[in-house]
Amino acid sequence: MSNINGKVYAMNAITPMKPWKTWVLRLIFFVLGHVKSLQQDLINLSFIEFARWVVVPRAGFPQFGNGQEPEKLTYDYLLFFSNFNGTWNQYIDAFSAVLSKGLNLIWQWSEKFPGSVPVTLFKEYIGRVQFDTDYYFTAYPHATANDLKAAHAVQASYDDLRSRVNSLSDAEFADAYMSFVLQVQPNLGETGEAPVVF
Amino acid sequence: MSKLNETDIQGFVLRGYNLPYGRYILLRFENPDRARALVSKLLPIITTGQRWDNGKPQSTVNIGFTHRGLAALALPDATLLSFPVEFQQGMKKRADILGDTGLNAPARWDDVWHGNDVHAWLGINGLTATALDDCCSQLRSLFAETRGAVELAAQDAVSNMVDGQQTGKEHFGYTDGFGNPDYLGIERNSQPGHGKQLPDGSWAPLATGELLLGYADEAGELPAAPIPHILASNGTFMVYRKLHQNLATFRSFLDEQSAVYGGGREKLAAKLIGRWRDGTPLELAPDAPDPSIVKDPQRSTNFTYGADGAGTRCPIGAHMRRAHPRDAFGFNGKLIDRRRITRRGQTYGRFVPEGELASDAEERGVVFMVLNANISRQFEFVQQQWIEYGNDAKQGNDKDPLMGNHGGHGKFVVQGDRSATNPPLVCAHLPSFVELRGGDYFFIPSMTALGMIAMKLVDPR
Ligand code: HEM
Repeated sequence: MSNINGKVYAMNAITPMKPWKTWVLRLIFFVLGHVKSLQQDLINLSFIEFARWVVVPRAGFPQFGNGQEPEKLTYDYLLFFSNFNGTWNQYIDAFSAVLSKGLNLIWQWSEKFPGSVPVTLFKEYIGRVQFDTDYYFTAYPHATANDLKAAHAVQASYDDLRSRVNSLSDAEFADAYMSFVLQVQPNLGETGEAPVVF
Repeated sequence: MSKLNETDIQGFVLRGYNLPYGRYILLRFENPDRARALVSKLLPIITTGQRWDNGKPQSTVNIGFTHRGLAALALPDATLLSFPVEFQQGMKKRADILGDTGLNAPARWDDVWHGNDVHAWLGINGLTATALDDCCSQLRSLFAETRGAVELAAQDAVSNMVDGQQTGKEHFGYTDGFGNPDYLGIERNSQPGHGKQLPDGSWAPLATGELLLGYADEAGELPAAPIPHILASNGTFMVYRKLHQNLATFRSFLDEQSAVYGGGREKLAAKLIGRWRDGTPLELAPDAPDPSIVKDPQRSTNFTYGADGAGTRCPIGAHMRRAHPRDAFGFNGKLIDRRRITRRGQTYGRFVPEGELASDAEERGVVFMVLNANISRQFEFVQQQWIEYGNDAKQGNDKDPLMGNHGGHGKFVVQGDRSATNPPLVCAHLPSFVELRGGDYFFIPSMTALGMIAMKLVDPR
């Protein structure tokens, strides 16, 4: 049981919200979801593979029957789930440094949220509301999101070159090959072991 | 922010002395009382940050302690346990984190680091070799008189000279010492490219707390520090690493690769670092060195990488672009403002000009010293994530071409264009050009803190 699988870290955080606040957050999510530019900063953090917030309403928890009593919950919950590359500290530092406004907008409705700045209190909070991953499947533990994007770029360029290669004269091939190299040259990093977690 | 209390801060923290001769003495304390007596005697000799109105002094002395050294001085346990963990552990125990494995593993370090005996570091610099020796004899008589410490080793360092003139050149032939951060309150001419970049593109000094304990850092917080706070304030942490340079390997690499590289030998050398060997930044002058830029502080560090995303001027994996990425990761550099380090390096070993025979086996390299308020967030992060790894730069597991611990398996891509003199190049099977020969983490206390240590006045609360 670990939050880490190769180069990827899975973070789960669950925070309680007073039900009336959930409606405010839903409205915010609606706006964020429809204005793509507001998501841009999150998307530009290239070490984040995935990040999502979901409201779990107090009536939304599963009921399995078989005598399981319905729980009486007084709070709704906000689930945050993210997969990222790099260290836990680096991730939260970056969140706090460049996304603090957006994070506050989303998390301030949760109980006892201290704000995403100063970062130490924010880290303490996340540490408290985080729960560990029981099962973690990663298709490419030796690759980061950047590595995968780079591999796709190289593959696409290569496929393109290959599809044309038979119809090219030697001179044309030399030119096409040069174009191929220039296209792939920023994307040639190795994959491999992740640095030791610290 | 008002001026700092310069007389309370060790001089070495506030400025690089740029004195040509250096000696780094490593000490072991035998007995806490006698060690404290030695610290008392050293107090009036330590060089503070006070300005030198009458020119440079003949020599300077500074001091730092390992965690074991502070324990040997019998600081209270509550204080010792309040230091950040990486400092408590020391550099050797952090080897896996730092990538100090294989050729750089502690087992291969100089003998002095094999035990756990290094308690203190004395950094001595001199204007002349004689001034350095005189100062060291004075210190050695204090060791003898107080019987406070045993000298374990002394590492000599000397700036490389060309025609009898001190140069800023390190052994590979690059001019070093352009880029170091500016901090608020430190009286020093601020230079574009030294501090942090603001959204409007201008440069401002970093928060003082990125260098000194007891001041707000870039996150608006006080850096993690030992208790009592007065022991910590105006102090900092130093990373000491003796980095051996394989000069023969480096030169034959340049010979071999430049035979197939259209840009030629000097351009290839420049691509590894991000500056031509005279110091001209590739971002400002990708085709040829320009001495007028090197001489002009308004320009020599005033550049960014944002417009060179493809790396065709300065390769994405070049040393300087990794170690201080400026705006390369977007967000106006906000992701890197808390990963800055202050460098205080000095070369050791004989300088061998190009064209003369050099061997890897000769003692030669850089005594690489880094000052930072938080070793783990600053130095260790840079070393692990940016020197020994490349994901933030989108270079996967590729390491710093020159500083990486390659052991024959390194790779470096020189991004290029269609011109004959700037073609793309992939260098594979890179050897280790630089190897670690030892080092440790040191606490560099303020003058007040040194006095407290000497007088046994450190109370945890
Ligand atoms: C033998 C070892 C090394 C040599 C010869 C070396 C050489 C250089 C040179 C020539 C420069 C460019 C000059 C300048 O901008 O000041 C430079 C810059 C720099 N190096 Fe190194 N370096 C070494 C090791 C390291 C290591 C291990 C680190 C980090 C852990 C590091 C961090 C930096 C930083 C932060 C800069 C400044 C970049 C800037 O501000 O733009 N260096 N180095």
